[in-house]
Amino acid sequence: MLRFRTLLASPYRKRKKQPKTGRKTRATRSDAVPRKQCHRTDELRQPHQLETVEQEEEEEEAEAEDGELGFHLKSSARSNAHGVQPLGNLFLSPNATNSRNTGLGALQNLTDELLLEILGLLSATQLGILATVSKSFYIFCNHEPLWRNLVLEALGGDFSFNRSWKSTYVAGCHPSFDVGSVGDLGLEIRDFYSDYVFQSWLCANLEMKPEWLERDNIVRKRGISVEEFVRSFEEPNKPVLLEGCMDGWLALEKWNRDYLVKTCSGVRFSVGPVEMRLEDYFCYSDQTREERPLYLFDPKFGEKVPVLGLDYEVPVYFREDLFSVLGNERPDYRWIIIGPSGSGSSFHIDPNSTSAWNAVITGSKKWVLFPPDVVPPGVHPSPDGAEVACPVSINEWFMNFYGATKSWKKKPVECICKAGEVIFVPSGWWHMVINLEESIAITQNYVSSRNLLNVLDFLKKPNASTLVSGTRDRVNLHDKFKKAVEAKFPGKIDQLMLEAEDKAALQKKPSFWDSVTDSKAGAFTFSF
Amino acid sequence: MRYLALPLLSQNLTESTARAQTLSLYLQLSLQVSLSQRNESTMSSSSSSLPSCPKKVVTLKSSEGETFEIEEIAALQSKTLENMIDENCADTPIPLPNIKGKILAKVVEYCNKHAEVGVDAESLRAWDAEFVNVENTTVFDYILAANFLEIPTLLDLTCQSVADMIKGKTPAEIEKTFNIKSAFTPEEEEQVRRENQWAFE
Repeated sequence: MLRFRTLLASPYRKRKKQPKTGRKTRATRSDAVPRKQCHRTDELRQPHQLETVEQEEEEEEAEAEDGELGFHLKSSARSNAHGVQPLGNLFLSPNATNSRNTGLGALQNLTDELLLEILGLLSATQLGILATVSKSFYIFCNHEPLWRNLVLEALGGDFSFNRSWKSTYVAGCHPSFDVGSVGDLGLEIRDFYSDYVFQSWLCANLEMKPEWLERDNIVRKRGISVEEFVRSFEEPNKPVLLEGCMDGWLALEKWNRDYLVKTCSGVRFSVGPVEMRLEDYFCYSDQTREERPLYLFDPKFGEKVPVLGLDYEVPVYFREDLFSVLGNERPDYRWIIIGPSGSGSSFHIDPNSTSAWNAVITGSKKWVLFPPDVVPPGVHPSPDGAEVACPVSINEWFMNFYGATKSWKKKPVECICKAGEVIFVPSGWWHMVINLEESIAITQNYVSSRNLLNVLDFLKKPNASTLVSGTRDRVNLHDKFKKAVEAKFPGKIDQLMLEAEDKAALQKKPSFWDSVTDSKAGAFTFSF
Repeated sequence: MRYLALPLLSQNLTESTARAQTLSLYLQLSLQVSLSQRNESTMSSSSSSLPSCPKKVVTLKSSEGETFEIEEIAALQSKTLENMIDENCADTPIPLPNIKGKILAKVVEYCNKHAEVGVDAESLRAWDAEFVNVENTTVFDYILAANFLEIPTLLDLTCQSVADMIKGKTPAEIEKTFNIKSAFTPEEEEQVRRENQWAFE
């Protein structure tokens, strides 16, 4: 955060206008890009006059080159910032007052987070009334995450997203009110400074920086045998990107929005805490500008729409699937994943000590992986492993912690996984994924002979009731699974244990890090 | 830095229940053990009082330097203090430079009350209601203290109390309650009202 404040206080360098349209870019546009602050000094000396900004398709791209700290904003329509600026700008402002404080009165000593926590306890009506009290409350009460919660509580997955969460709520719950008449941009407030609110907006509208995408040091293999995969990657627990093992997947040809919407007509898929129809989800994902967009992540897609299960097959490397001995009682094991650019998963370890593979059908994903013994910077797991604290959004992690990994000896494994490619995520590895464009993927978790003992150990842990995931029968899963494996593959567990003892007696192999090379990919850029 | 605490082993992170929390000064996450479990394991009587076995005491120091003692079992309601106790850092007075003595005394009282065994839920609720039946500015100080010391029940109680101050009030009443001067111009006021007209109907 401190580093960020320094950036924002740095002098304005240059600004690039997109030549696309003949429209004049309005200097008073509420981008809240701090570099403009200096440019607008003259305007600030004039009597404060807050103007409404009409709705326009946003094409302007503000760019500041301050070494590697410059940020690009997404060039497509951005969410409303109402002119909020980061706290550092207060020192540059000729006006020393922060309307945040004057507008909160006695509440001003509460932090932004605490205030938003209080606002989260209010009903929509109360929030709407409170928004009219002062500029400060206007901004806090328009904080989109509040309205997202209200929509999801009131409407579940049955909402028709309408430009913003607040607008969606009002349109859905107060249909007699014409949200269209209100317009998108609302009031612009020039003297409101808050790091929390600004950061929230910035992360929602930030474009991934090229240097975050450059490093691609994963091993890539095409056409290797199963034995080679097991020997070189699965057994030593190393990640690998596999090419060419989705050839023949019907999904690669058939799966696009239209096909999926048609085939899954009426079916609801898991999206965060709710279930949504595909057309509603796409309507939302097309418009959303959020730090953490809702992500469609459904563990029962094969059961809900069986034909989808026919459009792909498990790559040959992952066919040993020991949890299948549990039949219908097996934990969740396969998911369809659909999400817009910017959606993804922050750092986590996959459940139940399983390994995973993730196949991209359309789109592309940026992966960052750390081995089990290396906790990623900025991530704080609880001592028992049940919880992890990490930065609110993936962008925030990149902004604040990615740079640190460049100087670490134990660099992360990184890659961009494109359509037609499959990444193998070894058991216990930390990983984080961000979609660089709208992406559709399938992922499965599995247990093979290589990680069976680890999984059994994991399921046996005393706090299995909190740690085991994807099943309702957490406490008994270990016994059930062990029994079922013994029944179908008698002696397997004992044999694996013997082999493990033998291996432990052998010399220690060279460290994984000795084999990781850091290659710079060619200039790979995205434009949105 | 804004942080989120999430279940570690879940690919599908539930958004609506996650909230951003600031890191407290003592950053360590520990398993949330329900207080009743701890009480049960240490209590020696079931009467409405603190356990009578030898009590370990923690000393807290307010911003003005005043010291307050709190029994360890009561202190465990504060995650911050619990972490310090687990790390053996609680044997000397713990300075709390951003909590005034007047507030700290009440926070200790709250923790003591909530550590008592045998109190029925109804009377505890009534006690809590009385606890926050104080001046607004005092409640805000409680919020800041509960946040710093990570006392979830106190934080919930006090935040709800402020939310209750807002509920059902008109804008003018809210301004008065929190001593706010609205700085909208007439045009702005009209626009803001128009945007939120649905809430007034």
